[in-house]
Amino acid sequence: MDRRLLPLLPLVSKPARYTNNEVNAQHKEWTPDRVTMALAFPDIYDVGMGHLGFKILYSIINGRQDALAERVYAPWVDMQALMEERGIPLTALESGRDLADFDLVGFTLQHELSYTNILKMLDLGRIPRRAAQRGEEDPLVVAGGPCAFNVEPLADFFDFVVLGEGEEVIHEILDLVQEAKRQGVPRQETLRQLARLRGVYVPSFYRPIYADGKFQGMEPLYPDLSAHIEKRVAEDLGALPFPQEFVVPYTEVVHDRVMVEILRGCTRGCRFCQAGMIYRPVRERDPQLLQEQVAKLVSSTGYEEISLSSLSSGDYTQIRSLVKDLIAAYQSCGISVSLPSLRLDSFAVELAEEIQKARKTGLTFAPEAGTQRLRDVINKNVSDQDLQDVVQAAFQAGWYRLKLYFMIGLPTETAEDLDGIAQLARQVLAWGREYRTARKRPEVTVSVASFVPKPHTPFQWFGQNPLEVLAEKQEYLMERLRHPGIQFSLHQVEHSFLEAAFSRGDRRLGAVLERAVDLGCQFDSWGDQLRFESWLQAFREAGLDPAEYAQRFIDPQDPLPWDHLSPGVDKKFLIREWELAQQGLPTPDCRWDRCSLCGVCFNLAVKNRLTEANGGE
Amino acid sequence: MSRTIRFQFTKGPEVRFLSHLDLVRAMDRAARRAGLPMAFSAGFSPRPLMSYSYPLAVGVLSEAEYADFQLAEDLTPQEFMERYNNHLPPGFRVLRAERLAEGAPALMSEINAALWQLELPGAAVDEVKRRWQELKGMDSFEVERETKRGTRRVNLLPLIFGLTKIEERDGAVEVHCLAGLGPEGNLRVEEMGLLLGFSPAEAVITRIGQFKKEGSRYQPPLGNRGFTWTDS
Repeated sequence: MDRRLLPLLPLVSKPARYTNNEVNAQHKEWTPDRVTMALAFPDIYDVGMGHLGFKILYSIINGRQDALAERVYAPWVDMQALMEERGIPLTALESGRDLADFDLVGFTLQHELSYTNILKMLDLGRIPRRAAQRGEEDPLVVAGGPCAFNVEPLADFFDFVVLGEGEEVIHEILDLVQEAKRQGVPRQETLRQLARLRGVYVPSFYRPIYADGKFQGMEPLYPDLSAHIEKRVAEDLGALPFPQEFVVPYTEVVHDRVMVEILRGCTRGCRFCQAGMIYRPVRERDPQLLQEQVAKLVSSTGYEEISLSSLSSGDYTQIRSLVKDLIAAYQSCGISVSLPSLRLDSFAVELAEEIQKARKTGLTFAPEAGTQRLRDVINKNVSDQDLQDVVQAAFQAGWYRLKLYFMIGLPTETAEDLDGIAQLARQVLAWGREYRTARKRPEVTVSVASFVPKPHTPFQWFGQNPLEVLAEKQEYLMERLRHPGIQFSLHQVEHSFLEAAFSRGDRRLGAVLERAVDLGCQFDSWGDQLRFESWLQAFREAGLDPAEYAQRFIDPQDPLPWDHLSPGVDKKFLIREWELAQQGLPTPDCRWDRCSLCGVCFNLAVKNRLTEANGGE
Repeated sequence: MSRTIRFQFTKGPEVRFLSHLDLVRAMDRAARRAGLPMAFSAGFSPRPLMSYSYPLAVGVLSEAEYADFQLAEDLTPQEFMERYNNHLPPGFRVLRAERLAEGAPALMSEINAALWQLELPGAAVDEVKRRWQELKGMDSFEVERETKRGTRRVNLLPLIFGLTKIEERDGAVEVHCLAGLGPEGNLRVEEMGLLLGFSPAEAVITRIGQFKKEGSRYQPPLGNRGFTWTDS
């Protein structure tokens, strides 16, 4: 760590965030022949340490003789104030080196409300915010992660951006930067070379065209540049490296446990869900391999929990046997197994029962919409009957506390759909009273989020409801859910509004972002840190209207600022899905039904890989 | 002999800023990595059977932390120590370990006093000595103490048993302070600061001993090297 922080540690909250020395942290020597990369997470340590993507990159990069990776997190506001007061720049945890000393600084873009933290970290690290302002001595600032699929609002701040899966392309990047460093290749030339790598986007090589304030398209500045940047995707997860060690933090962090990724991608095709579009196709990891990965991680970390992670863990073909085997192997040593994202079906209850046995704390289901009609619109293929079966089964199995996730502001929503949420919540409570076997009274928590249109989804064209409408709908629900046994939790509408504006943003939002940071905006996803008034001021000063970005209905024929950033899904598929949605027609999952012609397998030469098929060979 | 091992360990500068909860978690995970045959509690979320002496505040070092680990299999204290030390993170180190006798009293009941080493930068020996004489001349030294039930006034004087050392070292003053620990009477680090006139954020504070105090006799929960101290 940075020794200059030592005298500050007694003065800040949770000082162990800044002290390093965790088990399995890698302290590689800074020799001139090594490419150095900072993995910069745009939030505090407690959040960033739970991120699996960076654990994977950390282990890949540090596994190379000629490279090293270190971790950097945003200091919390108390520490930031002290650092600024004493003129201490942002440094990496392992070596305590300045952020600006690294060859590469890589940010992950997990959600839109973390964008201000990126600029703040560059400021604290004394790296010029804009790529155009950086010189030969400055690091190359790169980004990846889900929001890279519309990185335009951040385009001016990154030298280059990676679309899709990082495990393979990271080697190509390191090789190239290593060579450039050795030969003293100028920055611009290095970027030209990087732009030739598949999946790499250099925003400064593309110019957006506007007419009458409307986005018209993206123009490549060099003839050899591709008009579309296609994401990187691995055919077979089994061929990708996975860490044998995780850094074990001392302080409490999110997802502080052994994590293995059992499958990647999801083809259920929920029409609001970006993850379900950009991570296609579905690829499962072999259960034998997963067992080995778990065994290595358990012994290298000493963790007391194993989590099987994916977008929808119940979909893993051999989930039941995998869970059984893991429980049999680890339960006696006090190691538990958890499945963080279970889909709503009765199978989920059986699985959850397997996992939780006696301590039946809480189960979470996500019907997303209150009526069958709207669930068909969003392609959440859950029927009223499914809901009834699963809820009754859960209460019968001994659970008494259920959490239900819904969204408001979805396309075609009417008052009936809102009433449906309230009715469903009461119905679930009634089933609880009828079917419960637990001694405790049934409790239902209804959590309501506002719909945010996301790029590359069939709902990308649909505008978010105005703030007042969302607030009214929340109010409407609150009144109807005032009932003993029902708890109601809401997302702040201002959060969802900003998220939508940036999710559908274009390059002009860069100026807004900069101004917002200057006005003190950061940690926007933290309820108590959001400065909404400052945000509105930043938009005003840039002459832009956030509502225009968040709430406008976009004509599907219009060019979109993210059209050139491709996850492999065809736009005509998205348009077809958008039309089917309005007719209330579902599209089945291509894993078990006919191909939905999304284009991913054809465009990227990949296909769904389920393990059962492998097992039978 | 039981299968419970009592051991003394350090909390060094590398892990100085860990909370008690962080410390317990780190010790647990190291035990798992070391493959120590821990005994687990019954029930559906089994927990290793470990108990620790009174928690240290964040930022405070120690050379004398104590814990009892219940094992599921026999392991000599020597083996226990070696295996554990191989997997403990830097800053933690087991210094001694012994098997507890069957029916031995619980760790907490063997401790009611602590010896603190205070490194006070910018202080002077005479000043500390004078302060101590002043305190001894007082009838009481009352402070407000925040508890779960609200604030109450506490007289700190009976909680401090004596200063066993006041010496100059490397431009700072090193003080050894014997004080009460645990429910019978506990002197908090920040209260020690109020009494002796230093700021805990600037001092380096190390717990260098924990004892059962009976009259003037101080006996550590492990080993036989107790001592007698009467403040003159």
